[in-house]
Amino acid sequence: MNGPFAALRWVFLWRDKSAFLEGFGMTILVSLGALLLALALGIIFGLFSTSAKKALKGIARVFVEFFQNTPLVVQVFFVYNALPYVGIKLDVFSIGMLCVGIYHGAYVSEVVRAGITSIPRGQMDAARSQGFSYLQAMRYIILPQTVTIVLPPLANQAVNLIKNTSVLALIAGGDLMYRADSWASNGTLSYGPAYIVTGLLYFLLCFPMVTWARRHEVKIKNRDIQAHPAEGAAAGGAK
Amino acid sequence: MKLARKLACAALILTVAAGALFAGGSSQTSSTGSPLDSIKAHGVLRVGVKSDVPGFGLLNPDRGLYEGMEIELSKLIAKEIFGDASKIAFTPVTAKTRGPLLDNGDIDFVIATFTVTEERKLTYNFSSIYYTDGVGILAKKAAGYTSLKDLDGKTFGVAQSATSRAAIQEGADKIGVKVSFAEFATYPEIKAALDSGRVDAFSVDKAILRGYLDDTVFLLPDTFAPQPYGVATKLNNKALAAWVDGLIVKWLADGTVAGLIKQFNLQ
Repeated sequence: MNGPFAALRWVFLWRDKSAFLEGFGMTILVSLGALLLALALGIIFGLFSTSAKKALKGIARVFVEFFQNTPLVVQVFFVYNALPYVGIKLDVFSIGMLCVGIYHGAYVSEVVRAGITSIPRGQMDAARSQGFSYLQAMRYIILPQTVTIVLPPLANQAVNLIKNTSVLALIAGGDLMYRADSWASNGTLSYGPAYIVTGLLYFLLCFPMVTWARRHEVKIKNRDIQAHPAEGAAAGGAK
Repeated sequence: MKLARKLACAALILTVAAGALFAGGSSQTSSTGSPLDSIKAHGVLRVGVKSDVPGFGLLNPDRGLYEGMEIELSKLIAKEIFGDASKIAFTPVTAKTRGPLLDNGDIDFVIATFTVTEERKLTYNFSSIYYTDGVGILAKKAAGYTSLKDLDGKTFGVAQSATSRAAIQEGADKIGVKVSFAEFATYPEIKAALDSGRVDAFSVDKAILRGYLDDTVFLLPDTFAPQPYGVATKLNNKALAAWVDGLIVKWLADGTVAGLIKQFNLQ
């Protein structure tokens, strides 16, 4: 078995593929949980940061700045190794969901804020003059219009979130990266194929999302430009 | 539809790239002539050693020097090659990094509590055994364990790329005890996980565990699976492996190794 990529190593990997698949499943589950949390937090804090109330704005700013300007690894290590000393001992799955979810919640909230501020001010004024309350105007008039605008950057956030779940490998989290790492460093030490296959699996999750986001962005641009109505209609109509 | 085609395309490109890597990394012809030529060309002997294992390879923070039995062995080898024990460059390695560093040619030898196993012989060359240790268990004094039996259902912190996991599993199977494992890249991380109660025991070779003894933890008397240490070289460099093995065999016979074991209190 000369070299880290010897043919026999690929055979070993195929024999032990269950380890990789289990890790892949865990990564998908953590990603889904974290994504839901990130979206919920993102919408709440996005609304906070665009509200007229100074206090809410302040809370949102502090939340966003804190999580955007500290490394995710530090947050995860803190929750994993420091919180048990004060009696808070979360399991690794929860840590993954919470830490990655909150971290990306900060980014999503910025995306939502950008989306809301991109809607012309007149929309809100018109809605309020028709008797909508602030929240109703947001719910029925403003947010629906932001959805198409924020979808591409949201997809990018989702991709980053999936990749960031690999931080669990550092705290024995049982995700794809951890299982791959564990397999690569035990027994036959076949780390070459292990990391290639792991990279491919992450790629399979992320690439479709990025591609979709890119195409969606083009679609929006075409619709906005309206330079070639025929093409724009085709692009808008193609599902 | 379009997306599916794009995906297939991307997967194909990646596979080809992986294949190229695989072909490129799989074989390397070692140069003809003396196995020491490439080492001499570097001007120093490059050795991968542990930096956190007292008695074997420890980077002394006070003096900034490496100390230990494996460090002395490395110096002896450098002396054989250059006639000068100071012509040596130490690279600190962990269980996880020592293999890849050897594979990509960053270091010539690994002398870093590297346990010889049949499986590992498929990947690296090993010299004769210069020391045999055993896997031990470090636990909190407060937990009051007396042997592996008391650790039924507990979690063991082990290092990635170490043989400890298999050794403990085997020992546990023998007495019908269920254990689980959490793997970490470095020993300090395992110690941190033990301190915070993330794992119930820290398990690795006893020599390494001794470096982590403090007021709160103790070593259980159990010893599992003898861990024979050898000098590792890159698999395709058979000549260099034979040369270094000759040295170790010689030093085993003439008492040099025994002297080092005594010098560092490793009996």
